[in-house]
Amino acid sequence: MSNSAAGQSSKSKAGSSQPNETTSFKRKRGVFQKDLQHMMYGFGDDPNPLPETVALVEDIVVEYVTDLAHKAQDIGSKRGKLSVEDFLYLIRKDLPKLNRCKELLSMQEELKQARKAFEVDEEKLASVE
Amino acid sequence: MKQSKDPFEAALEEQEESPPDSPIGPDELDGQTQSAPAPGGLDDDFESLSAPMPVSGGTNINAAVTKNKDDDEEEEEENVDVELAKFPSSADPSKMAKMQAILSQFTEGQMDRYESFRRSALQKANMRRLLVSITGSQKISLPMTIVVCGIAKMFVGELVETARMVMAERKESGPIRPCHIREAYRRLKLEGKVPRRSIQRLFR
Repeated sequence: MSNSAAGQSSKSKAGSSQPNETTSFKRKRGVFQKDLQHMMYGFGDDPNPLPETVALVEDIVVEYVTDLAHKAQDIGSKRGKLSVEDFLYLIRKDLPKLNRCKELLSMQEELKQARKAFEVDEEKLASVE
Repeated sequence: MKQSKDPFEAALEEQEESPPDSPIGPDELDGQTQSAPAPGGLDDDFESLSAPMPVSGGTNINAAVTKNKDDDEEEEEENVDVELAKFPSSADPSKMAKMQAILSQFTEGQMDRYESFRRSALQKANMRRLLVSITGSQKISLPMTIVVCGIAKMFVGELVETARMVMAERKESGPIRPCHIREAYRRLKLEGKVPRRSIQRLFR
């Protein structure tokens, strides 16, 4: 999609008070907009957050993810390829996030196991019939 | 990457819903209007899942953003990406009981907000696309997407909560404005919660 964004994204900065309308990002605006509205309401904002606020939060989040991914890549490049461990290493100091990520990963594992078990059962049923 | 619920997932969640949840809406509510129910009852350890942890205690946020939720309302919602099954909180019936007690006292507005809090999530597909464009590699695994979505959601929570704190300090009310978010972002940077780039940035 926007492969050019990879190189240009390192120049964008939302630290200054700009809504980043004119960065060289080629991504569409409002990629996460709908989800962000619900999320911001859940975290304490108005039921209808201001559109400019949502846009700013989206820019900040994209920049955050970009910085995080770049740092993870730096770490991962020493090991070979990028892995989940790199992200976990980056947030190691932030205990709530770290614990949450561990939960998410273990939940995902469980679901995978459960799905596998489910399929095995289905096969058994099918073979019985 | 599944974004919709498959029937198996729904069945799994249903079967784990052993304790009956407090219903959404004012069925059992006594119409109590306490804003933040028993913040002292919140523990700090993680236990049950599908719930991002709010960073601050939620000082003046009327959203009762509590932790350790193992119940869930109905599951037929499109934003169930990071919200996987409720876990029969593998340790603690006492925590579950606490959770039930808190949830049963929510007002309708609080329950609505709590529902949004639980169910909202960033789309995995969009996140994957973003990660691919950042790293330039196509090999973004599903766990990585899930983890980054979770981290991002918690970051949004930090931003919004800090912004609310800023608003309280300035004694303002109403929807959050960009200036609050910017101030919140600045504070988070000072706290070191935002990864800093080591690239020298000129002409900032």
